[in-house]
Amino acid sequence: MSGRALDNGLRLLGLVMIGVIVCFLVTPIFVTAVMAFDARPYLGPLPPPALSLRWFAKFFSDDYFLRGLGTSVELAVLSVTVSVCVGVATAIAVERASFRGKEALISFFLSPLIVPPVVTGFALLLFLSKMGVINGFARLLCGHIIITAPYTIRATLAGLSGIDVSLTEAALSLGATERHAFWDVTFPLARTGIVSGAIFAFAVSMDDVAVSIMLTDANTYTLPVALISSMRANFDLSIAAASVMLMLLTLALIVVLDKFVGLNRAIGQGVFRS
Amino acid sequence: MKPDRGSLPLLLPAGGVFLGLFFLPMAGLFIESFRLYQPGSIGSAANAPFTLTNYAELLTPAFADFFLETMRISLLASLAGLLFAFPLAYWITRRFSPRGRAIAVGFFVTLMFLSVLVRTYALELTFGATGPLRPFLQALGIALNGRPYIETLVGGGLLHYIVPMATLTLLGTIQNVDPRLVDAAQALGAPGWKAHLTITVPLCMRGLLAAFLFAFTFSISAFVIPMILGKGRVLFISNLVYNRFSEIADYPSGAAISMVLFFVALAIVYVTSRQVNKRWTS
Repeated sequence: MSGRALDNGLRLLGLVMIGVIVCFLVTPIFVTAVMAFDARPYLGPLPPPALSLRWFAKFFSDDYFLRGLGTSVELAVLSVTVSVCVGVATAIAVERASFRGKEALISFFLSPLIVPPVVTGFALLLFLSKMGVINGFARLLCGHIIITAPYTIRATLAGLSGIDVSLTEAALSLGATERHAFWDVTFPLARTGIVSGAIFAFAVSMDDVAVSIMLTDANTYTLPVALISSMRANFDLSIAAASVMLMLLTLALIVVLDKFVGLNRAIGQGVFRS
Repeated sequence: MKPDRGSLPLLLPAGGVFLGLFFLPMAGLFIESFRLYQPGSIGSAANAPFTLTNYAELLTPAFADFFLETMRISLLASLAGLLFAFPLAYWITRRFSPRGRAIAVGFFVTLMFLSVLVRTYALELTFGATGPLRPFLQALGIALNGRPYIETLVGGGLLHYIVPMATLTLLGTIQNVDPRLVDAAQALGAPGWKAHLTITVPLCMRGLLAAFLFAFTFSISAFVIPMILGKGRVLFISNLVYNRFSEIADYPSGAAISMVLFFVALAIVYVTSRQVNKRWTS
């Protein structure tokens, strides 16, 4: 029967496509991970004849990268802290309130997500220079807060909305004050949403180029911006070493996310959607 | 808990942040896009007259080419992403054990969380003009500095994010389709491909549209991927905005391009979510 033959053909095609795409996704990462340990002082063909840590040493002896790394970590910690606080406050207010236009309010807070990051960065650049904010770090902090806050708000909201209201009511009827009910009942239950929001905000902050590249000054720049400009200047393997470390950071974040929230749940909270 | 107005002050921090760091800057950008630019200066003068020239300039073929190229590569990458993600998600949902599925989810979440810099650098290192695949690609007669190859590489960069994202989006969708529907159709004599085309795919349409929306909006606002993989030969609209800012300091023109990009992104989100709502909510 020709239908059967067509079925088998299509099944085979499907499997080939799966094989091709998985190879495409994995090969570059594998190549980068191997090349980062290349002992040759230049960019040579695969495979490297000998392995060494020279590119890692080169990365860590480069002030330009280290400075960027320092700024990136500081920025990520500060902006995530601010965004988590803003996110928790906002999510609680939105969740409790029952005024009309609640949906509109939520989309208002998520609206930066649909604006291309270059546009957000450019708008901020113009606005902050009109306001007289010229300090590089202050400008970057502003940029990183506005790109991370929508994620913490959304994830906290998703975490809160999964909580049965009757639990808080039970605590209140058993004599807990509103503050106690919040800290002892609501907050621990909302924690998964807060944690996944914070992790995603951290990843977004550490990864951003499009907003940061607009807001840097000569002395204050983030690691991704430093990596991008050296990638354009000369394509050497210290960036491969940096990439390996960034991959390990990603892996660590995923492990933490899985441990504290669970990956399926984090996906359900829509952490990744832009 | 009773609806209480007592928690409304909790909205103040977010209100301040979003007003000061998002809405006012966006309004300022909108106004800047109508200012007259004097070549040679940095940005517009404080009270430069208003004009439409910044937008008129965008109607020239030179800009239209950038715009169409962004749209074309984004559209092709998004569609290709769905084409690859669908069988992948289907296979994982139907053939994997729960444990295998959990590992697959971890794998794709990690790929999706991967820094865009790592992604771009890894692709350039592997498939670029100096990469280990060079002899192989040259043997196939592919010009590594030719425009078609560079465009493909930019599309590949987008695909490297789109495929994991779309696979994760579709996993849940396919899981909700009852496999017995396809079994029943096949028992009644429909060939497998027809059963999937008339049952599985239509039932997954909502997830496919959602994945397409994420993929396409991600692609048209991509910045790092075309900047590095495009090697200056392929520029996306985002790169154009940055060049207006960094190379010639023509802020009004950068603002006008930003506005066009913003409204295109908004229109795509609006049209797609309207389609989804119209078809799947009664």
